[in-house]
Amino acid sequence: MSDSKLRLVRSFFNYRFFSIFLVFVALLLFFGFFSPHYRFTSLANIKILLGPGSEFSIIALGVGLLMVSGEFDLSVGSILVFCSFMFIRLFEIGMNLFLAGFITLGLGALLGFLNGFITTKARIPSFITTLGTMMLWRGVTLLLSLGYTRPFDTEVSPLLGSILTGKIGGVIPAQAIWFGAFGLVLGLVLHLHKFGNWIYATGDNKQAARAMGINTDRVKTICFMIVGVLCAFVAVMQIVRVSTFTSRAGDGWELKAIAASVVGGTSLMGGIGSMAGVFLGALTITVIENGLVLLRIPYFWTYIIFGLVIISSVLSSLYLERKRLGRD
Amino acid sequence: MTSSSGSEEERSLARMTGVEKWFGKVQALKGIDFEVRPSEVVGLVGDNGAGKSTLIKVLSGYHLADKGEIYFEEKRVNITSSLDARKLGIETVYQEQALAPNMSISRNIFMGREPAKPLGFMDKKSMDRGSMEALESIGLHLRSPDALIATLSGGERQGVAIVRALHFKAKLVILDEPTIALSVKEAREVLDFIKQLKREGISVIFITHNLYHVFPSADRFVVLGLGEKIADVEKKDTSIDELAELIVKPPSHD
Ligand SMILES: Nc1ncnc2c1ncn2[C@@H]1O[C@H](COP(=O)(O)OP(=O)(O)OP(=O)(O)O)[C@@H](O)[C@H]1O
Ligand SMILES: [Mg+2]
Repeated sequence: MSDSKLRLVRSFFNYRFFSIFLVFVALLLFFGFFSPHYRFTSLANIKILLGPGSEFSIIALGVGLLMVSGEFDLSVGSILVFCSFMFIRLFEIGMNLFLAGFITLGLGALLGFLNGFITTKARIPSFITTLGTMMLWRGVTLLLSLGYTRPFDTEVSPLLGSILTGKIGGVIPAQAIWFGAFGLVLGLVLHLHKFGNWIYATGDNKQAARAMGINTDRVKTICFMIVGVLCAFVAVMQIVRVSTFTSRAGDGWELKAIAASVVGGTSLMGGIGSMAGVFLGALTITVIENGLVLLRIPYFWTYIIFGLVIISSVLSSLYLERKRLGRD
Repeated sequence: MTSSSGSEEERSLARMTGVEKWFGKVQALKGIDFEVRPSEVVGLVGDNGAGKSTLIKVLSGYHLADKGEIYFEEKRVNITSSLDARKLGIETVYQEQALAPNMSISRNIFMGREPAKPLGFMDKKSMDRGSMEALESIGLHLRSPDALIATLSGGERQGVAIVRALHFKAKLVILDEPTIALSVKEAREVLDFIKQLKREGISVIFITHNLYHVFPSADRFVVLGLGEKIADVEKKDTSIDELAELIVKPPSHD
């Protein structure tokens, strides 16, 4: 009994996860000590990290799941902005906002389905498919919105506002709760559910998975749809928070989401990764971005630091993995 | 051999007739008749590219034949997917690694057929117990059902792949080059697994290039060459030398 519990703990805190955990703690300490006036650990900043910061992280969770199945999604930012436009239009025609929200989620699922359908049926690498849809959906949104911002009125539905962006106990942003909840649910699916086993099998050895009767095309398409729904969810959440539609929403998130997954130990080849790792990876990316701003380091340094963090985390997890396999 | 078991052997478990398969302009199978009887080990041999893998992939639902019929337990069947084949009781251990290297032993054994609790969550306890028992049953003692496939030796991997076939009450197990790239000791282990299958009344199709591996284990041999059946002989009517000659000889047309 205690042996199997120990195994569970060990596999949870596997080496990849452990290395990202160390990096994360080191970053927290670094920014905590070196940000001017300890602003990093101020309550206001922590609220920013957990509130708006969670928007990106929620999408990263889906991208991580998709990467375990062996595919990429470069179109997350564009799905997000297209869904934002849909939601603001439905708001403008006076639709009930909950209904509008569900329709927006449906659109996200549809856009994800299209990515999956094109990728699996036409056998196009998803890097290419989603590069195409990335341009397509942002282009369509720009065309329809003419690039103008549009106002949103939170007062129309205070309930929706408090569900998505309220503060639990006046302190904890609802976004953080959503991030945790999505992380937990997707983690349960990936690690304990049959479907999670199919995701791993599909990403690890597609031939084997197919020979065992797993419909790998369907598995991948569902993963794309999960990503699409998460993008739509965040689109609504973001509009409710900033009370504005902008056609720049989600710009640049696609690579950040992949970076978060990779930093969290997800393999670019598929088949390897954990939800806890992606969760921490997303937090890490958010913390780096936020911490550098607080240190008053010019923004372009962010890219350099991201680059270094990604490369070093991939190298260290590869090193640890090799050591483990060698020792066993 | 008693007369009753003799008539048993007349019945076929799986029978393929007139199977043809084209890959573009290449005809990989040119009208093959092939059969396996209950509890029989058939050695399927032939040169590289002879069509061995293609033939068994038709039987296991991986490829669809362009022509020909398949009978299972004397009933005409349509095998259009590996799921169809497995429903009949045909399990295949493919030449290409059929395991996911970064997944655990038990997750591999139950891949696609995970025992589930309500809501579709995996019953990990029964997966772990089931896989350890199945591994023990063929004499494979592995440390833990959580070990990753990538950490196993080649022989152990074949063992896991065979166990996966065994665990689901297969009537026919197809092994495509199960001893390739294995050490002498590991190959012997795999040959023992095959004997174990036969003892349990399971039929086996054993594809290999190594006649020394297949000869002691098989009851009958089918030789393919360039997509044609060159010979179909009982073990008592042939020898390793004769089989070796048949394999290198091009198919004759008379
Ligand atoms: N998926 C495929 N697409 C195109 N051609 C194929 C395919 N699979 C097999 N072939 C061709 O069909 C022929 C038979 O191949 P097959 O794999 O059945 O041979 P084999 O007897 O298993 O050989 P080996 O002993 O090398 O495994 C070969 O000419 C091969 O190139
Ligand atoms: Mg072959």
